[in-house]
Amino acid sequence: MSPQQTNLLQGTLDLVILKALALEQMHGLGISRRIDQMTKGTFRVKPGSLFPALHRMQDAGWLSSTWGESDNNRRAKYYRLTKAGRRQLEAETERWGRISLAIARALEAC
Amino acid sequence: MPLLSNLASFLRRLLRRQQTERELDEEVRSHLELLIDEKMKEGMKPAEARRAAQLELGGVEQVKEEVRAVRAGAWLDTLIQDIRFGLRMLRKNPGFTTVAVLTLALGIGANTAIFSVVNAVLLRPLPFRDSGQLMMIWHTPPQKSFPGIPRFVVSPANYLDWRSQNDVFKNMAAVGFAPINVTGTGEPESVLSTKVSADFFSVLQVRPEMGRAFLADDDQPGHGNVVILTNAFWRSHFDADRNVLGKSIRLDDQPYIIIGVMPAEFSFPLQAKLAIPLAWTDKERTVRGNHNLLVIARLKPGVDQQQAQAEMDTISSRLAQQYPADDAGWGAAVVPFHDFVGGSVRAALLLLLGAVVFVLLIACTNVANLTLAKALGRRKEIAIRTVVGASRSRIMRQVLSESVLLSLVGGTLGLLLAQFLVSSIAAFLAPQLPMSVTIGLDGWVLAFTLTISVLTGIGAGLAPSWHLAKANLNASLKQASGKSDSDLSGARSAFVVAEVALSFLLLIGAGLTIRTLYLLRSVNPGFNPHNVLTVPLAVSQTKYASSEQQRAFFDSVLEGVRTIPGVDAAGAVDALPFQGGSTQPVIAEGQPVVPMADQPEVAVRVITPGYLHAMSIPLLQGRGLGEADKVGSPPAILVSEAFANRFWPHDNPIGKHVTLTFSNVSSREVVGIVGDVKINGLDVIQPIEMVYEAMDQNERIPAMVLSVHTSLSPVRLISAVADVVHHVDPEEPVVGAATMDTVLDQSLAKQQLSMTLLGAFAGLALLLAMVGVYGVEAYAVRQQVREIGIRMALGAQRHDIFQLVVGKGLKLTLLGIVIGLVVALEVTRFMISQLYGLSPTDLVTFAGVAILLISVALLACYVPARRATQIDPAEALRYE
Repeated sequence: MSPQQTNLLQGTLDLVILKALALEQMHGLGISRRIDQMTKGTFRVKPGSLFPALHRMQDAGWLSSTWGESDNNRRAKYYRLTKAGRRQLEAETERWGRISLAIARALEAC
Repeated sequence: MPLLSNLASFLRRLLRRQQTERELDEEVRSHLELLIDEKMKEGMKPAEARRAAQLELGGVEQVKEEVRAVRAGAWLDTLIQDIRFGLRMLRKNPGFTTVAVLTLALGIGANTAIFSVVNAVLLRPLPFRDSGQLMMIWHTPPQKSFPGIPRFVVSPANYLDWRSQNDVFKNMAAVGFAPINVTGTGEPESVLSTKVSADFFSVLQVRPEMGRAFLADDDQPGHGNVVILTNAFWRSHFDADRNVLGKSIRLDDQPYIIIGVMPAEFSFPLQAKLAIPLAWTDKERTVRGNHNLLVIARLKPGVDQQQAQAEMDTISSRLAQQYPADDAGWGAAVVPFHDFVGGSVRAALLLLLGAVVFVLLIACTNVANLTLAKALGRRKEIAIRTVVGASRSRIMRQVLSESVLLSLVGGTLGLLLAQFLVSSIAAFLAPQLPMSVTIGLDGWVLAFTLTISVLTGIGAGLAPSWHLAKANLNASLKQASGKSDSDLSGARSAFVVAEVALSFLLLIGAGLTIRTLYLLRSVNPGFNPHNVLTVPLAVSQTKYASSEQQRAFFDSVLEGVRTIPGVDAAGAVDALPFQGGSTQPVIAEGQPVVPMADQPEVAVRVITPGYLHAMSIPLLQGRGLGEADKVGSPPAILVSEAFANRFWPHDNPIGKHVTLTFSNVSSREVVGIVGDVKINGLDVIQPIEMVYEAMDQNERIPAMVLSVHTSLSPVRLISAVADVVHHVDPEEPVVGAATMDTVLDQSLAKQQLSMTLLGAFAGLALLLAMVGVYGVEAYAVRQQVREIGIRMALGAQRHDIFQLVVGKGLKLTLLGIVIGLVVALEVTRFMISQLYGLSPTDLVTFAGVAILLISVALLACYVPARRATQIDPAEALRYE
C-alpha cells in the first residue's frame, strides 16, 4: 500500500501525472491530454487508470483538489500539486534519472 | 507523511461517505461530458460523440469501482459494504437463513460445549500455583499378586521413607479417606472425610480462606482433634457463620475444633467434605503392608518428571531389599497430578470431541450445500455485478463474508445452546471426577467458538464462492434464471455423499457405544440387583469402642429390619459390589508358604448371615455362614468358585484351610463355595477370587452396608429401615440408601454419559444428512420439471419417475455409506478402550447403521419423488 513500494509502471504513471501538474492545476481530462502531448502520444492514460491514480495520490497527500469551472463552463474537479507533491516530483525525477541511466548503461554493456 | 495523510483521508471519507461517493460520481460524469465536448469540437455529431466518449471512458461504474479499490482503507470499506449487503441478503431469505443458522448453531454449540469440558478437565492448568510441578506418586504392585493392576495406593511407612529419602520433591503429602459420622449439627450424618499430613496445604500451595492450615504440631498423635471444613460444608452446616473458628464439632463422637474454612473454589481429593490430620501413632507409622493413601508431591524447581521417577525407582529398590516381606516387587510411579483429575474420563471426552467435530463438518457441508443451491438463483445478480466492475476476488469475498456472517450468528446462538449443554454435562460428570473442577465458558472457550465460527463460515462459503466467481458471465446472463447446471449439481451431490459418509461414521461410533452398554447391562453380575435396598451404616469407633459393641449394634439393626413387613432377607457386607473393598494377601492350604509380598491377593468381604440370600448369590457347595459361626466357634470361611478353581482345581475345597495374612485368626476352614460376583465393574471379564468371612468372627467392623431383599418396591422401605436404626441408636446417621439397581447403574455412569451424548450427536448428524439428501433431491426435481414432463408425455409411468428420483438419492447414499465404511474400518479401533464384548468392526452395528441410513435416505427422497410423479406433463412443458 505504501507509495514507496509502487512498481515501475505505477511509479512512471505517478511521475508523469506529477510532471503534468507541475505548471498549473488541471482537471482529469486536461491531465490526460497533457500527458498525451508531453509524451507525443506514447502514453495514453485511460480514465480507468487515471482516476484511481489521482485519488491514490491525493490520499498520499501529493495532490489537492478543488471544484471549478472548465473553459466551456462545465463543473470539473481540478487537481494541483501540494508541497509534498512537489518534493515527490523532485525525488521521483531524480530516481527515474538514475534508473534510466542504469538501464541505458546495462544495455550498452552488452 | 503519506501514512498520516492516508489515515486522514480514510477517516474523512468514513465520516462523509455519501459526499465522497457523490463527488466521485460527479467527477467521472463531468469527465464524460468534457470528453463529449471535445469529440464534438472535433466535428462529431452529439450521439456519435457520446458513444465515442463512453467507449474511451470504459464505463462510469467500472471507473468508480477502480477508484474505490485503491482508496486508503479500501479493504475495510469493502468489508463494511460486504457485511451490509450480506445482512440484507440474509434478511431477504429468511427460510434459508433460519435453516443455515440453526444448523450452524447446533454444530458450533455442540463443539463449544464439549470443548469447554475438555478445556476444564484436560487442558486448563489446575487452580494451584505452579500446578505443573504437582505429581501423584503411586505404588506399582507386583504383577504376580495383582495381575493387571497398574497402580496402587501407598502404605504409611513407605510414604514416610519416600518423603525422607528423596532429593527431588520439595515436599510430599499423604492423603487418606474415611467416612466419618457428624453429630450435633442437625440430623446425624455420615460424610467422607480426608485425613491429610500437615504438609498437604504447602504441597498444593493452598490456604484456608478463614483460619489456618494444619501445622506440624496438629499432625502428632493426641493433637489431631482439629478440622478444616470445605466452603460448601461451612455454608450448609454453619450457615456461613464467620465466627465458626474455634467452635467444636462432634466427629465419630469425638470433639474437634474447627480451625479453618477453605475457599469456595477448592475441593479436597475425592470431594471430601472436611479434613483432619493423619496424626499417626508410632505404631501406625510402621505399617508397611497396608496400602490406603494417596501421595501428592511438589517437584523441586528444575526437576522434571523423569528425574523424579528415576529417584523413586532407586528408593523403591532400596526399600524392596530392606523390607522384602512387604516391599519386594513394589515400585513407584510418578505421574502428573493433572492426570489424576482428568485421567478417568480422558478417553471418553476425546471420543466425544471427535464426534462433535464430525457434527460440525456435516453442518458445514449442509450450509455449503444450501448456499450453493441459493447461488444458482443468484447467478444473474452476480453476473450483473461483474459487468458493472466487480472483480472475481471481490465476488468471492462477498459470498464468503455472507457465510462467515451466517456462521457468526450461528456461533452466537451456539454459545447459548452450549451454556445449557455444559451445565447438564457438568452435573453428570462432576461425581465422576476425583477433584471438582469449574466447567464453564471462559475466555479460551469464547476464543475457540469465535475461531471455529469463522473457520466454519469460510469452510461453508469456499466452494459456493469459487463456483460463483468462475461462473461464465455470458452464459449466466443469457440463461433463464435458475436452470439446472450440471457443474453445480455435481458439487452438491459430492456434498451429500460426504455428509452421508460422516454421519455413517458417527452413527457407527454411537452404535458401538450403545451396543456396549446393552451388552454390559445383560452381563450376569453374579447376584440379583432387583428388589434390593442397600443402606450404608458406619458406627462411631469411640461410642462403639469394642467389636462386641459394634457387632451388637449391627445384629440388633438386622434383627429389627427382618421384622419389617415385606422384607424376606436381610444381611450386611463391608463393601458392596462396585464400591471398592478390601484386597488382602492369603495363604491357601496346599500352596507353598512364601513371604507376604509374593502371596496372592484376593478380595475379602465381611458378611453377616442373610447377605448372600438377600443378594441371591448362589451357594454352589457346602453351607453358608450362619448364626453358629461366632467368636469361639471354629473360624469358617466361604470361597468363590474362581478361588476354588485357582487353588484346588482337583481337590474338594470343603474342609481346606485359608489364612488371611492380615488377620489375627490363624486359619479358617472352608465351609462352602459360592458363585463368582462382579465386584470391580461389569466390564471385567476375568472372574475374581473372593473369600467371605463372618462378621461375628472378625475383629474390626466399623462400617457395614445393609442389603435388604423385599417383594415390595425397595425405596419404600427406606423410612422403615431408618426407624429401626434410630430405634437402636437415635444418633446413627442413615444417609445414602440406594437400591442395588441404582448402585449397578452408577457403575455404568461413564458409559451412560458417552452413550447419551454420542447418541444425541449421531442423531443430529442423521437429521442433518437427511436434510441434505432431501435438499438435493427436492431441488433436482424442481430443476427437472420439464424433463420429467417430457418423459411422461413420451409414456413414462409414474413408478418409473418415482424410481428415477429415488434411485438417484439412493445412489448418493450408498456411495456415502461405502466411503464411510472404508474409513470406519480404519478409525473405530481407536474406540477399543471404550468397548466391551464386541469388536470395533461389529457386524451387527455396521449392518444396522447402514440399514438405518438407507431407510432415512429413502424417507428423504420420498417427498420429492412423490412430487415428481404428480407433475402434469401438459403444464410441465409450458414451464420455464
